[in-house]
Amino acid sequence: MNDVNASFANQVASYVADGEWKALRDQVGHFIADPQPNTLARIFTAIPRTVKSAGKAEFITLDGPTHTETAPLPLVVKDWPLVRLVRVWVLTRVPALEQPSYLSLIERLFSYGDVEELAALYAALPIYHYPAAWQLRCMEGIRSNMAPVRQAIIVNNHYPSQFLDEGAWNQLVLKAFFTDEDIPNIIGLKRRNNLRLAQALVDYAYELHAAKRNINPMLWILAAPYLDDRAHQLMVQILQEDMALLTHKAIVYAFRQSNFGPAADFITRNSELTDLLDTAGTPWDDWLDQTN
Amino acid sequence: MCNYNERDRASMGQRVALELDLVKGLRFFDPHIHMVSRTTDDYQAMADAGVIAVIEPAFWVGQPRTGIDTFRDYYSSLIGWERFRASQFGIKHFCTIGLNSREANNEALAEQVMELLPFFIYKEGVVGVGEIGFDDQTAAEEKYYRLQLELAKEAGLPVQVHTPHRDKTKGTSRSMDIALEHGLDPGMVIIDHNTEETVKEVLDRGFWAAFTIYPFTKMGNERMVELVRQYGPERIMVNSAADWGISDPLAVPKTAALMVKSGIPKETIEQVCYQNALAAFSQSGQLDEALLDEKTSIDQGKKFAGNSILRGGQQPRRDTDSIIIS
Repeated sequence: MNDVNASFANQVASYVADGEWKALRDQVGHFIADPQPNTLARIFTAIPRTVKSAGKAEFITLDGPTHTETAPLPLVVKDWPLVRLVRVWVLTRVPALEQPSYLSLIERLFSYGDVEELAALYAALPIYHYPAAWQLRCMEGIRSNMAPVRQAIIVNNHYPSQFLDEGAWNQLVLKAFFTDEDIPNIIGLKRRNNLRLAQALVDYAYELHAAKRNINPMLWILAAPYLDDRAHQLMVQILQEDMALLTHKAIVYAFRQSNFGPAADFITRNSELTDLLDTAGTPWDDWLDQTN
Repeated sequence: MCNYNERDRASMGQRVALELDLVKGLRFFDPHIHMVSRTTDDYQAMADAGVIAVIEPAFWVGQPRTGIDTFRDYYSSLIGWERFRASQFGIKHFCTIGLNSREANNEALAEQVMELLPFFIYKEGVVGVGEIGFDDQTAAEEKYYRLQLELAKEAGLPVQVHTPHRDKTKGTSRSMDIALEHGLDPGMVIIDHNTEETVKEVLDRGFWAAFTIYPFTKMGNERMVELVRQYGPERIMVNSAADWGISDPLAVPKTAALMVKSGIPKETIEQVCYQNALAAFSQSGQLDEALLDEKTSIDQGKKFAGNSILRGGQQPRRDTDSIIIS
């Protein structure tokens, strides 16, 4: 085990009682020596029983991206229950068998998973071997109606932005708006932004506006690089109708970022709006600096 | 499972107005309810009435399943979607997993189900093997009842035993005989759907006695009040077994309200409508008082909104008195 993986193991171990950690390592060791699907299923399912110290109320955040040995992408551990952290560690220890065996070993866990097991399995997408083979599984998880499961993929997960094609990525973002997820914590939001997504978001904004429902201000930040007359009209109308400060700030920011002439003109004509350009405290505060 | 018969209102006894204010502040645990058959309105009403936890036993779905995949998907739904659905209303959802007695009679399929069960009974929040036992009291039912008792013993899990509608008294005695024969501690076995005819033997032999308050076909709650008066609260628990039949998901709080009205002491009501179920099923190691006290996080972590039920921790309510839907 190299230093990187040792450090992830150490981080996990620091939350688990010594005896329980040793017992778990022994079980995992036996599994690595003879990787049988039933053994893995038993270890994985039984974690809340074997790791009693995995208190249900405790939520764990590890600083920065967590790199593990041989994993294609880092993990972002944010507000995870300890059982999830321990389960994901177990998954990092599954040896890179031949692709079909490896896939069926992990897929079997998905087909019998409870809510929290599924959340761990999807949170672990960045660390599975044969990363390109998990695209359909990832797309399936985004369709989940169980919020903790869906969130384990959509938010703070490096896998989707690296491996989903444009159509699937756009579904992820649309679903995230639809289910009111923590949009700024979708990794790759800026890098994967695209015209088709922006158009779909503006359509969605029209739909919400017609239904007199709230529109998440982050929608305008994503629409900004692709503003056109249709988007602009609705945004001007919302500036007049909607009194929410964050909505005004988002629209003005989008106008300022846009190359669409009428949007820039609108700000020039309404110079008082420039006061709203301060991004401090907004969800898009670090948007310009984002590279991932 | 009901047989619907038109009944003369007059034959249904005195009507008592629904006054759930009588049980305001009490917490309820319904240890037998089939939520997959119930709507979100039921979840809302249960939460409002003080139900904070439920156990959903695996049973049949109103018609026989024809393949193993539908069993697997059903078990998965008990530990997946249904668990999540309950959490949106602040209700803790546990389940028991087993092969029900009716479908034990399809032996070819039952064999496959038996192979499936070990993948589910060790899951988090699975608090027992159930509901298992007798329906027609056939040889096949007996075979799979015995096999599942062994499974429960090996896993250290309580057993939730369904007792038959027909030939009930004998079927109940036989269920207990067999459990003892397999070396189960009666304190780990919950005998369900008791009546005045079965309760004495169940309690005398040291088993837990559960009563199902279910209109027309099982116990009525006036009878339940009398039973608690007669036997006291020890090892007795009340459930609704509400399902896809004409049943009542508020059976536990309503029975508690009737007990209050009937002068049953509050401690007794708490025991039979909350504490005893907790004590019996906490023997699984999957459930304890602290877990029930912990507020189900209707929070950022489980927020579910937009097209759905919760938004930012608030449970939006349908206005049932308005024709406007917005």
